[in-house]
Amino acid sequence: MEQLATIGLNHYLTISAILLCLGLFAVMTRKNAIVILMGVELILNAANINFLAFSKYNGSMQGVMFSLFVIVLAAAEAAIALAIVINIFKIFKSVDVSSIDSLKE
Amino acid sequence: MHSLIQLSIVVLLLPLLSFVTLIFFNRRLPRRGDFIGVGILGTAFALSAYIFWTVIVQSYDPAFRIAWDFTWIDLGNVPGVGPLKIKMGIVIDNLTAIMLAMVTLISLLVHLYSTGYMAGDKNYGRYFAYLGIFTFSMLGIVLSDNLFSIYIFWELVGLSSYLLIGFFFEKDSAADAQKKAFLANRVGDIGMWLGILILYSQFHTFSFSEVYANLAAGKFALSNAWLTAAGILLFMGCVGKSAQFPLHIWLPDAMEGPTPVSALIHAATMVAAGVYFVARIFVMLTPDALHVIAFIGAVTAFMAATIAITQNDIKRVLAYSTVSQLGYMVLGLGVGAYSAALFHLVTHAFFKACLFLGSGAIIHAMHHEQDMRWMGGLRKHMPWTFATFTLATLALAGLPLTSGFLSKDAILAGAIGFANVEGGGIYYLIPVLGFFSAMLTAFYMGRQIWLVFFGESRTHLKPADPHHGDHHAHDSHAAHGDDHHAEHGVHEVSWNMRAPLVILAALSVFFVYSPDPLDGAKGWFMKMIPTPATVVGAANPQIGSLPAGSVLPQLAAVGALPETHATEGAVAPAEHGAAPAAAEHGAAAASHGEAKGGHAYSDPRQAEIVHAGHAAHYTAIYISSVMVVLGIGLAFVVYVFGIIDPAKTAVAIRPLYLFSLNKWYWDEIYQATFIKGSVVLSKLLSWFDTNVVDGIVNGVATLVRKFAFANAGFDKYVVDGLVNFTAFSVNTTGAVLRKLQTGKVQTYVVMLLVAVFGYFIYYFTRLIY
Repeated sequence: MEQLATIGLNHYLTISAILLCLGLFAVMTRKNAIVILMGVELILNAANINFLAFSKYNGSMQGVMFSLFVIVLAAAEAAIALAIVINIFKIFKSVDVSSIDSLKE
Repeated sequence: MHSLIQLSIVVLLLPLLSFVTLIFFNRRLPRRGDFIGVGILGTAFALSAYIFWTVIVQSYDPAFRIAWDFTWIDLGNVPGVGPLKIKMGIVIDNLTAIMLAMVTLISLLVHLYSTGYMAGDKNYGRYFAYLGIFTFSMLGIVLSDNLFSIYIFWELVGLSSYLLIGFFFEKDSAADAQKKAFLANRVGDIGMWLGILILYSQFHTFSFSEVYANLAAGKFALSNAWLTAAGILLFMGCVGKSAQFPLHIWLPDAMEGPTPVSALIHAATMVAAGVYFVARIFVMLTPDALHVIAFIGAVTAFMAATIAITQNDIKRVLAYSTVSQLGYMVLGLGVGAYSAALFHLVTHAFFKACLFLGSGAIIHAMHHEQDMRWMGGLRKHMPWTFATFTLATLALAGLPLTSGFLSKDAILAGAIGFANVEGGGIYYLIPVLGFFSAMLTAFYMGRQIWLVFFGESRTHLKPADPHHGDHHAHDSHAAHGDDHHAEHGVHEVSWNMRAPLVILAALSVFFVYSPDPLDGAKGWFMKMIPTPATVVGAANPQIGSLPAGSVLPQLAAVGALPETHATEGAVAPAEHGAAPAAAEHGAAAASHGEAKGGHAYSDPRQAEIVHAGHAAHYTAIYISSVMVVLGIGLAFVVYVFGIIDPAKTAVAIRPLYLFSLNKWYWDEIYQATFIKGSVVLSKLLSWFDTNVVDGIVNGVATLVRKFAFANAGFDKYVVDGLVNFTAFSVNTTGAVLRKLQTGKVQTYVVMLLVAVFGYFIYYFTRLIY
């Protein structure tokens, strides 16, 4: 129980792993493209938590800087991905990724 | 170049000019250009007459001869043979000069006559063009100094004859006749060409004088039989062109051509070309060849005469008469009566042309009625035609005071002399056939004269003819309609048709040729055309072995002649070998007045025959006069006095009558043998083709097909199998792999995760162990 008293690196990593799994789960199972994007955001944020946790316990600021990068990147990615989704919707009248499989043939 | 040669070239080319002008421009010229034809022939005749005057009248030299030649084709040095050249050239001697004048004169008269006879024909201009090319080629034969050019013109003459026989080509009979004439001539010409090749293979020259010089020098390397063969082969050309016995069948059918053409080509000139050619090669004919020629001539003369007595078509009678007379000429050459044969050639040309033109006038006046049975009584309507026709008939029958008498008796005397010299019984057949033919000639000509000119008109007796149109189509005159009935339409022909008749008839009288009405040998003609010396002595041991003592006095009289001349081939060819050189000796002898006839004979046999011919002269006159009187008498008995009824006689001797009427069944025989034979042979070859040749081809095709099938199986199952298998395996692989490509992004993500986990598991497994 003593171990519960302090929040260590393992806690962060566990949270991050759970978050990653949730993100992956969303990416793999959802049909709605926007939900999948949200899953991708979860995965990115899991990675951010890892960066920050390792930065804190390592004593350097590299992880922090990297996580800031990731946030900016995620914003840019979200903007581009949403634009793509809008275009997909315009063409297929749907954002259901299971029905968008023209690449198959 | 001698000026006479230049003139003769102009004479030769003038008719060609006429041909070229008329064939291309006759429709653009007034009167279809007939005046060009007549004018050009008039000029040619004037020049020929000048040549005749210079050669015959002025120089009056039996040995006259000028020649000119040029190299036409130089084949260079042929390996294994030596240098080969083909030369063209012109020779003018007495014979040429006479023939030149004769051909151009008759051609001119026929041109003139045709302006009347052919008037209104739709192909009037083309007709004169053809006459032009014919005259050109005939003059070419006459002027040639070598076998090659004579052969070329020979064929050209055959072509123009073909064109003119088939002038009314819309008629089937004319088209058939022209084909028949061409084919029959072709058979003869092949023989002639082979003969030329035999000589060329030996001497590498076509020139007459060079060939004879080589022969006289004994350079003929093959056996004597080859020389005889060459002579007979060359004679085959004459057999075809001059309608001699086996190939005579075309000439009567050639009467389908316009009548003036029959006069020019098929009576006077072209058919005489064969005789002229034999005369040109006379010096190289061996005795054996001459015997063949003599017998063929005799058979032809007799056979044609027997056929002529039963023919009803006025032109056919004349055609068979022409064949018969040509037989006489050939007979004359065969027996060695060289001068007499050529004499007969010229006299016959004039009187037979006169007869043909006369018959043309009759046909013209009768509106294309040719059957003598429906004529009669024309004497009163056509006095000019009657007079000239009768005169020419007398000449043909050989009555004294006519030209025909002089020449025919000279031939018959020669035939008797020949038989005497040869001494064999069979050789007497030749004069006997000759005399018998003379009687028949007198008979059928008497019959013709009577049927055509005497008695009453029998036009109304003519049975209604369903093919009446054919007769009118015959000469296809637009001017004469069917409504013009012969009975009231008969009239004398116009001046341009009458003038040629008068001129030709005038040339059928004896004094044109000889001052003595009974002996042609006293005339200029036979003096100017002496028998040339033979050149085959060296190649002919039989002759050479004759003892010199048996040579007749003439030979001894010709002092200038070496006794061994040519008989042993010991003389230099340049000096004595060639015919003209020998003829010069003759001239020398003539000037001495020592030898009878002034001839030089290098060959004792020849000399003997000519001498025997002279000896037989009066015998011949007696026999032939009796024969002619018999023949004419018989004609009178049958047709004038009516003592013998021809119809009843025909029934009484029906087989003979039919034999003659059907022309000895020669057409039928050829139909059954050569034509049927050709058809059967063709069928045989066709069977061979379809069964054997085609069989081989089809067999090969089947084999190829079988092989191709096998090949195709291999292709289909092995090669295609491999290809298909490859495709199949690729396809299968693809089908399996395609399942992975769902196109869904999430599948790919799963795969990515699986791969990442797989890697980790692998990595950590490695790490642990």
